[in-house]
Amino acid sequence: MTSLDPTLNQEKLTQSSQVAHKHEEEDNRMLGFIIFLLSESVIFLSFFAGYIVYKTTAVDWLPPGVSGLEIREPAINTVILVSSSFVIYIAERFLHKENLWGFRIFWLLTMVMGSYFLYGQAVEWQGLEFGFTSGVFGGIFYLLTGFHGLHVLTGVLLQAIMLIRSFLPNNYAGGQFGVESTSLFWHFVDVIWIVLFILIYVWQ
Amino acid sequence: MTVTSNPEQLIPETPPNWRKYFSFSTDHKVIGIQYIVTAFFFFLLAGVFAMIMRGELITPEPDLLDRTVYNGLYTMHGTIMLFGWTFPVLSGFANYLVPLMIGARDMAFPRLNAAAFWMIPVVGILLILSFLVPGGPAQSGWWAYPPQSLQNPTGNLINGQFIWLLAVAISGVSSIMGALNIVTTIVRMRAPGMGWFKTPAFVWTVLAAQLIQLYGLPALTAGAVMLLCDLSVGTAFFDPAQGGDPVLFQHFFWFYSHPAVYVMVLPVFGIFSEVFPVYARKPLFGYKIVAVSSLIITGLSGIVWVHHMFASGTPGWMRIVFMASTMLISVPTGIKVFAWVGTIWGGKLRLDTPMLFALGGLINFVFAGITGIMLSSVPIDIHVNNTYFVVGHFHYVLYGTIAFGIFAGIYHWFPKMTGKMYYEGLGKLHFYLTFAGTALNFLPMHPLGLMGMPRRVASYDPEFAFWNVLASLGGFLLGISTIPFILNMVSSWTSGKPAGNNPWKAIGLEWLVSSPPEHENFEEIPIVIAEPYGYGKDEKLTENLGG
Amino acid sequence: MNIKKTVTLSAIALFLIAASVWMGRVSYSWFPPQASAEAILYDDLFSILTAIGTFIFLGVTLAIGYNIIFHRAGRYDTSDGPPIEGNLRLEILWTVTPLLIVIGLAAASYQTYDKMNLHGATEIAHLPQVMESAYADTGITTEPMTKIEVDSKQWAWVFRYPEKNVTSTELHLPVDQRAHLKLRSQDVIHGFYIPAFRVKQDIIPAKTIDFEFTPIREGKYRLRDSQYSGTYFAAMQADVVVESPEDYDRWLNQAAKQTPTPAPNQAASEYAKREQKEDSAGWQTVVPAPAPMVNYHP
Repeated sequence: MTSLDPTLNQEKLTQSSQVAHKHEEEDNRMLGFIIFLLSESVIFLSFFAGYIVYKTTAVDWLPPGVSGLEIREPAINTVILVSSSFVIYIAERFLHKENLWGFRIFWLLTMVMGSYFLYGQAVEWQGLEFGFTSGVFGGIFYLLTGFHGLHVLTGVLLQAIMLIRSFLPNNYAGGQFGVESTSLFWHFVDVIWIVLFILIYVWQ
Repeated sequence: MTVTSNPEQLIPETPPNWRKYFSFSTDHKVIGIQYIVTAFFFFLLAGVFAMIMRGELITPEPDLLDRTVYNGLYTMHGTIMLFGWTFPVLSGFANYLVPLMIGARDMAFPRLNAAAFWMIPVVGILLILSFLVPGGPAQSGWWAYPPQSLQNPTGNLINGQFIWLLAVAISGVSSIMGALNIVTTIVRMRAPGMGWFKTPAFVWTVLAAQLIQLYGLPALTAGAVMLLCDLSVGTAFFDPAQGGDPVLFQHFFWFYSHPAVYVMVLPVFGIFSEVFPVYARKPLFGYKIVAVSSLIITGLSGIVWVHHMFASGTPGWMRIVFMASTMLISVPTGIKVFAWVGTIWGGKLRLDTPMLFALGGLINFVFAGITGIMLSSVPIDIHVNNTYFVVGHFHYVLYGTIAFGIFAGIYHWFPKMTGKMYYEGLGKLHFYLTFAGTALNFLPMHPLGLMGMPRRVASYDPEFAFWNVLASLGGFLLGISTIPFILNMVSSWTSGKPAGNNPWKAIGLEWLVSSPPEHENFEEIPIVIAEPYGYGKDEKLTENLGG
Repeated sequence: MNIKKTVTLSAIALFLIAASVWMGRVSYSWFPPQASAEAILYDDLFSILTAIGTFIFLGVTLAIGYNIIFHRAGRYDTSDGPPIEGNLRLEILWTVTPLLIVIGLAAASYQTYDKMNLHGATEIAHLPQVMESAYADTGITTEPMTKIEVDSKQWAWVFRYPEKNVTSTELHLPVDQRAHLKLRSQDVIHGFYIPAFRVKQDIIPAKTIDFEFTPIREGKYRLRDSQYSGTYFAAMQADVVVESPEDYDRWLNQAAKQTPTPAPNQAASEYAKREQKEDSAGWQTVVPAPAPMVNYHP
């Protein structure tokens, strides 16, 4: 139809295509990752729905001898996990300004906070007098906290990989998809925890 | 730079390289064919299971098989037909066609694509191996309703039900990987100029179907994880003896598994929408509303699941609400049916094999839709729920519609995929045998259900014998009907006549490239300037490619 | 030309309507006898759905058939059809019409459902007014009779009549009285299903489910398990005897005098045979419950 000069057209294409191609792929991966997170959130939503059904309909909700959950330690844990979302955001800002050491310090701080959360969770589990098979409450409690804990662990491991990779020369030449998606994942894990905390600890 | 007009170059000079189909190829076309061929093996296997079952059911007494064997076979028939055949074969079509139809060189994530495919043989092998464990394969149907599915008479940790859950979980992971790949591809990689309303209807339906996978499958996964904990660890989630709630599992299960029917049938609607215009030589009637109706189905299918549980002890208000939503879904579906009739109305019909299968599938689907409306009515459902009426209904959907659509698609795109023409005579024979077999096998199930024969039985009262004999004969006829198909596919692929780029004179980006298409499909990314289905309009589809 | 078209169309429409009405009539013959008040309501609704379904199915099939016969391309005709891309009025018509039809069907179904007044698991509230109005013209006693307890287990049905402390493996019901059952399961989910009554209810373990219906025809019918319950699922059946109130009382009093004996049970006997043979081709199964001890068995 429109008769552009074919050689000119060709040249322009090859020049811009490499940069454009890289950029396209980054965007594809980010969209793919967001779709994955949305889909993953449905698993949590299903568990939450299950929790609400059990809580509202079960005849014997709490296992015998259990009066409720201690809320103080988990609340501290919650504060730490939620704050780590801000810390990881600061880390990301440093990376955007190309301040690598600033990024690494705050990134490491996020990892420490995430690890502390896991530690706190482990301590709480150890102190509980009911197990995974103690009725529906025991089951759904360990399922929810365990499945979420697995996500926190995954997040910390991803962060470790990103931290190591930040020492590679030219690591960010092709974009910051790894850091951005890890950070997004961390926010996701955080939001899930807030809902979980309200459902399990606040609504007793 | 345009695809050359020299016809010699379009025919591959070397015979197809068979080994690439057994490799970890990341080419979407190779993966597409891998899916389709693998799925077909599972189709034959699960079909053999079905024929053994029909052999048992030809007499009222349980004389051919032990009851446990029958129960294992019916469970595996359903599981393999769904997770080994229908889902994978449609993934194959989506993989092969979507990038070609939208003018992309490949999927967005080729390696993820290959990984998703290679899980399917693992699923199949696991399911087959479960026949060898003590206690046999899972014997609780593809619903696996607890607490029956938790009974595990052998007491072993590795039992049929455990392997079944594992296989279904792997299949789920594969489907999620496939879904996010396909959605990303469709959203981001359409050729320049291809706005949403220049995108082929098949692509729309695939998008609609994969969105269902993304919101539905995780719910099933959640239910399956809890079931697995109950089975292997002894938690209480669905075990009423420990205070659990078995009906909750049914909600998790049907929240996905009813929309799953739309995951399977939507791409088939897409195939119909592609096939009818080509063989009627008319544009798809009401293309835009047909395209959008797919997404309406995606939305509605998420709020209908309780219609499977009208007899499960659901509260009355829930029954009524879900009856209404279920009936509502027939509106967007009806739009499609009428649009297809509008498409062939007053056209120039060519009854080649793909068109025969599409027309046969359409007629079967109208029938299935009508029995579907009946089932959505709460009082009607209460009598026929869990009877052969339901079995007849969903086989008219899964076989009469979906398998017909798949065969239509296979014949329609066979020349594109292989570069060879299939044998028309064998194709027609395949169609007539399949159509007759479908009617003979699945029509008698409707009166059986109305008379009150429950599904999943290995034996039945003598009053049901007559219709069961007919159904069994139909089952064997369907078995025979696959013979001309296999003969046709094998002989055409190896020694068929060269097909050329566009044997059907069809409009669409996939028909502008060579048959089979080169690696990376398009030498130059097409620039789309027209709506699809411009039959009779004599306009160009793209700015830069021929045609 | 226009007159010819009108005549043809009306002829087709008349044919479709006649065929649909005929199918609606025929549909009554597809069912077991109408042995309950619910069955009459049920068959009427099904007949309506069949008639509408026939109309749609024949209409679409005729349209397809017409085009296959009259609009096939000739052997060497490579031309295209007319490039008609759609018709907004038609598209609106075939969106709105199905919508109206399903609204009508939903309303009709709701009405029937309401009249049947089936009691689900969570609906314990009685609505005597509604019940009376539904059965006002049938002369049926709406006073619920004493509750019969239905116990289901893998794989047997046992019915218990608490007022006489009678157990039976055959369900006896007086005709023209609203039957009231308490459904229970000891192991897995079973389904209480009597096709001649058109009623069905899943029995969830650890729950007692109230269930009501009204038998109106004397005779012997079949009760089947409708929710898959494992190996001997298909064998889990029982007879239902509907008889006159006098016969029913006589039966109940006689049964009360008998001492409990083990009833024949197909699952238990098949399992015993399988164990003896020891060359069974089957896989390990859940062991059936022993044959139930009851006052009465057929």
